[in-house]
Amino acid sequence: MRKHIANLKSEEDENEINLTPMLDVVFIMLIFFIVTASFIRESGLDVNRPDQDQAQVVQEEGAILVVIDSTDDIWIDNRIVDVRAVRANVERLHAEDPERPVVVQAAKASSAELLVSVMDAARQADIYDISIAAGD
Amino acid sequence: MRESVIEQLEQDEEAEINLTPMLDVVFIMLIFFIVTAVFVKEPGVEISRPEAVTAFVPEKGSIFIAVTAANEIWVDNRSVGTEGIRGAIERLHAENPEGGVVIQADREAANEFVINVMDAAKAAGVNEVTIAAAAP
Repeated sequence: MRKHIANLKSEEDENEINLTPMLDVVFIMLIFFIVTASFIRESGLDVNRPDQDQAQVVQEEGAILVVIDSTDDIWIDNRIVDVRAVRANVERLHAEDPERPVVVQAAKASSAELLVSVMDAARQADIYDISIAAGD
Repeated sequence: MRESVIEQLEQDEEAEINLTPMLDVVFIMLIFFIVTAVFVKEPGVEISRPEAVTAFVPEKGSIFIAVTAANEIWVDNRSVGTEGIRGAIERLHAENPEGGVVIQADREAANEFVINVMDAAKAAGVNEVTIAAAAP
Protein backbone atom coordinates (compact mmCIF):
# COMPACT_ATOMS: atom_id res chain seq x y z
CA MET A 1 0.00 0.00 0.00
CA ARG A 2 2.72 2.43 0.90
CA LYS A 3 4.60 1.56 -2.29
CA HIS A 4 1.50 2.17 -4.29
CA ILE A 5 1.15 5.66 -2.84
CA ALA A 6 4.79 6.41 -3.60
CA ASN A 7 4.28 5.27 -7.18
CA LEU A 8 1.29 7.51 -7.56
CA LYS A 9 3.22 10.49 -6.24
CA SER A 10 6.12 10.00 -8.61
CA GLU A 11 3.75 9.56 -11.55
CA GLU A 12 2.07 12.80 -10.67
CA ASP A 13 5.44 14.50 -10.57
CA GLU A 14 6.26 13.22 -14.04
CA ASN A 15 2.93 14.31 -15.39
CA GLU A 16 3.80 17.96 -14.85
CA ILE A 17 6.04 18.92 -17.76
CA ASN A 18 8.93 21.19 -16.90
CA LEU A 19 8.54 24.17 -19.22
CA THR A 20 11.71 25.97 -18.24
CA PRO A 21 14.09 24.57 -20.93
CA MET A 22 11.52 25.19 -23.67
CA LEU A 23 11.06 28.72 -22.42
CA ASP A 24 14.82 29.23 -22.51
CA VAL A 25 15.00 28.07 -26.10
CA VAL A 26 12.01 30.16 -27.17
CA PHE A 27 13.44 33.27 -25.54
CA ILE A 28 16.82 32.76 -27.15
CA MET A 29 15.17 32.34 -30.57
CA LEU A 30 13.09 35.44 -29.93
CA ILE A 31 16.16 37.49 -29.03
CA PHE A 32 18.00 36.13 -32.08
CA PHE A 33 15.24 37.14 -34.46
CA ILE A 34 14.80 40.55 -32.85
CA VAL A 35 18.53 41.21 -33.17
CA THR A 36 18.85 39.95 -36.75
CA ALA A 37 15.74 41.82 -37.85
CA SER A 38 18.02 44.77 -38.41
CA PHE A 39 15.95 47.08 -40.47
CA ILE A 40 18.80 48.50 -42.49
CA ARG A 41 18.00 52.04 -43.41
CA GLU A 42 19.96 53.35 -46.35
CA SER A 43 18.91 56.73 -47.59
CA GLY A 44 19.25 57.61 -51.23
CA LEU A 45 17.72 58.96 -54.43
CA ASP A 46 15.57 56.91 -56.75
CA VAL A 47 16.87 56.37 -60.20
CA ASN A 48 15.07 56.23 -63.51
CA ARG A 49 17.12 54.45 -66.13
CA PRO A 50 15.12 54.27 -69.35
CA ASP A 51 15.68 51.82 -72.17
CA GLN A 52 17.68 52.98 -75.11
CA ASP A 53 14.63 53.89 -77.24
CA GLN A 54 12.95 55.69 -74.39
CA ALA A 55 16.01 57.83 -73.79
CA GLN A 56 16.00 58.94 -77.39
CA VAL A 57 12.29 59.76 -77.28
CA VAL A 58 12.80 61.88 -74.19
CA GLN A 59 15.66 63.73 -75.80
CA GLU A 60 13.67 64.41 -78.93
CA GLU A 61 10.87 65.88 -76.90
CA GLY A 62 13.29 68.40 -75.49
CA ALA A 63 14.30 67.43 -72.01
CA ILE A 64 16.57 69.54 -69.87
CA LEU A 65 19.86 67.91 -70.72
CA VAL A 66 22.63 68.05 -68.15
CA VAL A 67 25.88 66.56 -69.43
CA ILE A 68 28.68 65.43 -67.13
CA ASP A 69 31.80 64.95 -69.22
CA SER A 70 34.78 62.74 -68.53
CA THR A 71 36.72 65.59 -66.92
CA ASP A 72 33.90 66.09 -64.39
CA ASP A 73 32.65 69.32 -65.94
CA ILE A 74 28.91 69.92 -66.05
CA TRP A 75 27.39 71.27 -69.24
CA ILE A 76 23.94 72.83 -69.49
CA ASP A 77 22.91 74.62 -72.70
CA ASN A 78 26.42 74.43 -74.14
CA ARG A 79 27.94 76.17 -71.14
CA ILE A 80 30.10 74.81 -68.37
CA VAL A 81 28.26 75.24 -65.09
CA ASP A 82 29.57 74.90 -61.57
CA VAL A 83 28.02 72.18 -59.38
CA ARG A 84 26.48 74.80 -57.11
CA ALA A 85 24.89 76.59 -60.07
CA VAL A 86 23.17 73.50 -61.46
CA ARG A 87 20.09 74.03 -59.31
CA ALA A 88 19.58 77.63 -60.47
CA ASN A 89 20.06 76.70 -64.12
CA VAL A 90 17.72 73.74 -63.93
CA GLU A 91 15.16 75.85 -62.09
CA ARG A 92 15.33 78.51 -64.81
CA LEU A 93 14.86 75.97 -67.60
CA HIS A 94 12.10 74.30 -65.61
CA ALA A 95 10.29 77.64 -65.22
CA GLU A 96 10.40 78.18 -68.98
CA ASP A 97 8.63 74.91 -69.61
CA PRO A 98 7.49 72.99 -66.52
CA GLU A 99 6.72 69.89 -68.58
CA ARG A 100 10.33 69.15 -69.40
CA PRO A 101 11.97 66.26 -67.60
CA VAL A 102 15.64 66.23 -66.70
CA VAL A 103 18.06 63.91 -68.43
CA VAL A 104 21.49 63.51 -66.91
CA GLN A 105 24.01 62.23 -69.39
CA ALA A 106 26.98 60.96 -67.45
CA ALA A 107 30.29 60.14 -69.12
CA LYS A 108 31.82 56.79 -68.34
CA ALA A 109 34.74 58.25 -66.43
CA SER A 110 32.79 60.86 -64.47
CA SER A 111 32.44 60.40 -60.74
CA ALA A 112 29.32 59.16 -58.97
CA GLU A 113 29.47 62.10 -56.59
CA LEU A 114 28.72 64.52 -59.42
CA LEU A 115 25.88 62.36 -60.68
CA VAL A 116 24.29 62.39 -57.23
CA SER A 117 24.90 66.14 -56.88
CA VAL A 118 23.18 66.86 -60.20
CA MET A 119 20.24 64.60 -59.34
CA ASP A 120 20.01 66.28 -55.96
CA ALA A 121 20.04 69.72 -57.57
CA ALA A 122 17.24 68.74 -59.94
CA ARG A 123 15.21 67.36 -57.05
CA GLN A 124 15.77 70.57 -55.12
CA ALA A 125 14.37 72.39 -58.15
CA ASP A 126 11.22 70.27 -57.69
CA ILE A 127 11.83 68.04 -60.69
CA TYR A 128 11.50 64.39 -59.78
CA ASP A 129 11.37 63.05 -63.33
CA ILE A 130 15.09 62.47 -63.75
CA SER A 131 16.48 59.99 -66.23
CA ILE A 132 20.03 58.84 -66.49
CA ALA A 133 21.71 58.29 -69.83
CA ALA A 134 25.17 56.98 -70.52
CA GLY A 135 27.54 59.29 -72.31
CA ASP A 136 30.89 58.49 -73.81
CA MET B 1 -7.00 25.89 12.85
CA ARG B 2 -9.05 24.74 9.92
CA GLU B 3 -9.20 28.25 8.52
CA SER B 4 -5.47 28.61 8.63
CA VAL B 5 -5.03 25.37 6.67
CA ILE B 6 -7.40 26.60 3.98
CA GLU B 7 -5.54 29.90 3.82
CA GLN B 8 -2.30 28.02 3.50
CA LEU B 9 -3.69 26.03 0.58
CA GLU B 10 -5.01 29.13 -1.16
CA GLN B 11 -1.67 30.86 -0.82
CA ASP B 12 0.08 27.88 -2.32
CA GLU B 13 -2.17 28.02 -5.33
CA GLU B 14 -1.61 31.71 -5.82
CA ALA B 15 2.14 31.36 -5.55
CA GLU B 16 2.26 29.29 -8.76
CA ILE B 17 2.20 31.76 -11.64
CA ASN B 18 0.23 30.80 -14.72
CA LEU B 19 2.73 30.96 -17.57
CA THR B 20 0.30 30.21 -20.41
CA PRO B 21 -0.60 33.79 -21.46
CA MET B 22 3.05 34.84 -21.43
CA LEU B 23 3.94 31.81 -23.54
CA ASP B 24 1.21 32.75 -26.01
CA VAL B 25 2.57 36.28 -26.34
CA VAL B 26 6.15 35.09 -26.66
CA PHE B 27 5.24 32.58 -29.38
CA ILE B 28 3.29 35.18 -31.32
CA MET B 29 6.26 37.58 -31.14
CA LEU B 30 8.57 34.76 -32.21
CA ILE B 31 6.41 33.92 -35.22
CA PHE B 32 6.15 37.62 -36.13
CA PHE B 33 9.91 38.09 -36.09
CA ILE B 34 10.53 34.86 -38.02
CA VAL B 35 8.05 35.89 -40.71
CA THR B 36 9.28 39.46 -41.04
CA ALA B 37 12.96 38.52 -40.90
CA VAL B 38 14.49 39.64 -44.18
CA PHE B 39 18.07 38.65 -44.13
CA VAL B 40 19.70 41.64 -45.78
CA LYS B 41 22.96 40.79 -47.45
CA GLU B 42 25.33 43.67 -47.22
CA PRO B 43 28.02 44.16 -49.85
CA GLY B 44 30.80 43.96 -47.29
CA VAL B 45 32.80 47.02 -48.26
CA GLU B 46 32.77 50.45 -46.73
CA ILE B 47 32.28 53.32 -49.15
CA SER B 48 32.08 57.06 -48.66
CA ARG B 49 28.64 58.09 -49.77
CA PRO B 50 28.00 61.24 -51.74
CA GLU B 51 25.78 63.78 -50.02
CA ALA B 52 22.33 64.81 -51.16
CA VAL B 53 19.93 67.18 -49.45
CA THR B 54 16.85 65.49 -50.87
CA ALA B 55 17.87 61.95 -49.86
CA PHE B 56 15.02 59.86 -48.49
CA VAL B 57 14.77 56.37 -47.07
CA PRO B 58 13.22 54.01 -49.63
CA GLU B 59 10.58 51.62 -48.34
CA LYS B 60 11.88 48.49 -49.94
CA GLY B 61 15.58 48.27 -50.47
CA SER B 62 17.21 45.01 -49.67
CA ILE B 63 19.57 44.20 -52.52
CA PHE B 64 22.68 46.19 -51.76
CA ILE B 65 25.37 46.58 -54.40
CA ALA B 66 28.50 48.58 -53.74
CA VAL B 67 30.73 50.23 -56.31
CA THR B 68 34.04 51.11 -54.70
CA ALA B 69 36.43 53.92 -55.52
CA ALA B 70 38.57 51.37 -57.40
CA ASN B 71 35.48 50.55 -59.52
CA GLU B 72 35.07 47.08 -58.06
CA ILE B 73 31.50 45.88 -57.71
CA TRP B 74 30.66 44.09 -54.47
CA VAL B 75 27.56 42.05 -53.77
CA ASP B 76 27.01 39.88 -50.69
CA ASN B 77 30.60 40.06 -49.43
CA ARG B 78 32.04 39.10 -52.80
CA SER B 79 33.60 41.13 -55.57
CA VAL B 80 31.80 40.36 -58.82
CA GLY B 81 32.83 41.49 -62.25
CA THR B 82 30.65 43.50 -64.60
CA GLU B 83 29.32 40.26 -66.09
CA GLY B 84 28.49 38.76 -62.71
CA ILE B 85 26.20 41.53 -61.46
CA ARG B 86 23.10 40.45 -63.31
CA GLY B 87 23.32 36.88 -62.02
CA ALA B 88 23.89 38.09 -58.47
CA ILE B 89 20.93 40.48 -58.62
CA GLU B 90 18.71 37.77 -60.11
CA ARG B 91 19.64 35.39 -57.31
CA LEU B 92 18.95 37.95 -54.56
CA HIS B 93 15.78 39.07 -56.32
CA ALA B 94 14.51 35.49 -56.35
CA GLU B 95 15.17 35.23 -52.60
CA ASN B 96 13.35 38.46 -51.88
CA PRO B 97 11.09 39.52 -54.77
CA GLU B 98 9.81 42.58 -52.89
CA GLY B 99 13.17 44.26 -52.45
CA GLY B 100 14.60 46.97 -54.61
CA VAL B 101 18.20 47.52 -55.57
CA VAL B 102 20.26 50.07 -53.66
CA ILE B 103 23.50 51.07 -55.37
CA GLN B 104 26.08 52.24 -52.88
CA ALA B 105 28.43 54.13 -55.14
CA ASP B 106 31.58 55.67 -53.78
CA ARG B 107 32.18 59.35 -54.46
CA GLU B 108 35.09 58.45 -56.70
CA ALA B 109 33.38 55.59 -58.52
CA ALA B 110 33.09 55.97 -62.29
CA ASN B 111 29.58 56.37 -63.61
CA GLU B 112 30.23 53.71 -66.26
CA PHE B 113 30.03 51.05 -63.55
CA VAL B 114 27.14 52.71 -61.73
CA ILE B 115 25.12 52.75 -64.96
CA ASN B 116 26.17 49.14 -65.64
CA VAL B 117 24.65 48.15 -62.31
CA MET B 118 21.44 50.06 -63.15
CA ASP B 119 21.20 48.23 -66.46
CA ALA B 120 21.86 44.89 -64.80
CA ALA B 121 19.10 45.59 -62.27
CA LYS B 122 16.71 46.46 -65.08
CA ALA B 123 17.71 43.34 -66.98
CA ALA B 124 17.13 41.25 -63.85
CA GLY B 125 13.62 42.66 -63.62
CA VAL B 126 14.05 45.00 -60.65
CA ASN B 127 12.42 48.34 -61.29
CA GLU B 128 13.08 50.08 -57.99
CA VAL B 129 16.65 51.26 -58.19
CA THR B 130 18.03 53.72 -55.68
CA ILE B 131 21.43 55.33 -55.50
CA ALA B 132 22.62 55.69 -51.94
CA ALA B 133 23.35 59.15 -50.62
CA ALA B 134 23.84 60.49 -47.15
CA ALA B 135 21.84 63.45 -45.95
CA PRO B 136 24.36 66.14 -44.95
